[in-house]
Amino acid sequence: MCERKLSEAVRIVERREIPANAKMIHGLPDVGLVGVIAVSQIISQLKMVEVAYLDSDLIPPIIVLHNGLPHSPIRIFGQDDLLVLISEIAIPAGFLQPLMRAIVDWMDEKGVETAISLGGIATPNRQNIESPKVFGAGSNELSLKILREKEINIMKRGFLVGSQALILHYCAEKDITAIALLAQSFYNYPDPEAAAAVISALNQIVKVPVNVSELLEKGEEVRLRMRDIMRRTQSELVRMRKSQEYDIPHYYVA
Amino acid sequence: MWPERGDENTMRRRRSIFDIIREYMEEFERATEEVLSAFEQPSWNLETHSLQPLFNISVTADEVIVTADLPYADPKTLKIESVDENLIEITAKMRVKVRFEDFGVSHREGEFSSFHSRIPLPVPVDASRAKASFRRGILEVRLPRRRGYRIRVE
Repeated sequence: MCERKLSEAVRIVERREIPANAKMIHGLPDVGLVGVIAVSQIISQLKMVEVAYLDSDLIPPIIVLHNGLPHSPIRIFGQDDLLVLISEIAIPAGFLQPLMRAIVDWMDEKGVETAISLGGIATPNRQNIESPKVFGAGSNELSLKILREKEINIMKRGFLVGSQALILHYCAEKDITAIALLAQSFYNYPDPEAAAAVISALNQIVKVPVNVSELLEKGEEVRLRMRDIMRRTQSELVRMRKSQEYDIPHYYVA
Repeated sequence: MWPERGDENTMRRRRSIFDIIREYMEEFERATEEVLSAFEQPSWNLETHSLQPLFNISVTADEVIVTADLPYADPKTLKIESVDENLIEITAKMRVKVRFEDFGVSHREGEFSSFHSRIPLPVPVDASRAKASFRRGILEVRLPRRRGYRIRVE
């Protein structure tokens, strides 16, 4: 009941018509900012436009100025039948559930065909990994079938914490096909190489004409620019107990 | 034996478990706020033209591993100093100068050309035996933990 009320406290305001049967890519701040870096690249290279934004009393009183005008820090961009969700701020851990419920309700209402959430899986020896591997998890049998067809390693057991966990959970409830793609990444350093790896995996599922070599070339610049949002995201990761993803699952409960 | 009214010390000893929990929570909140207020500072310093790098500390049974993300750092200028046994200082010059303008910010002025951070260590270390490496823009310092006496098992 309470959760229901909270999700109603999140408004998604549409600025343009939302196409039916769209595919929606999510890039919210998490380990290595993998999702945010990946979707920023997609939005800027495809020159996508803002189609909707999120408004809620539950997030801090903050706006982002672009060319002197205010914007919501959490927005949805679009082009043809592709939608992209991005946040320019670290999302307070306590706000993730109402936010993700509202997003999933909205996707259901708009008839979004597939949701693909991009992110990272913190890997302690990341520094010694040349090409990060990408793993996938799904909300239903169809999403697992897609992962198998595209030969993306499926995360069979273990814990997921954060927005990617919630998107799979809430989409499973509504039988929306959702896929989480997670590249091996640093925990608290912006990881453009992991973002490039996750874009390549995404491209096997949804064709997104994005040049990842450009992202890799400006890796240092990305790491410098993302320092502050990474710092703030890190404190939210502590609050949501992200480290539980390192835990080894106990006895098997099917 | 009831304490006499006004006897502060005796009164303090007679706290209930709830008082202890409340005091503990208050102390915890104060400590959290202290950490948060330290956090509510910019990650840059205009006077020293320096940026604070992102860093990470992990503690194993044998060592403390400190890493720092130093994009654009010139490896030749990297300096790691042990300030005391609980604190190390990392500085590095950057290969480029960055200005607020480069980030599209027009309401602040200033440029940055180095990284600077003082990192508190959670356990005592022997900094004289520390080793450091710098790969792909990430500094890694491995500091052996201070050893005590070995206790014999009988």
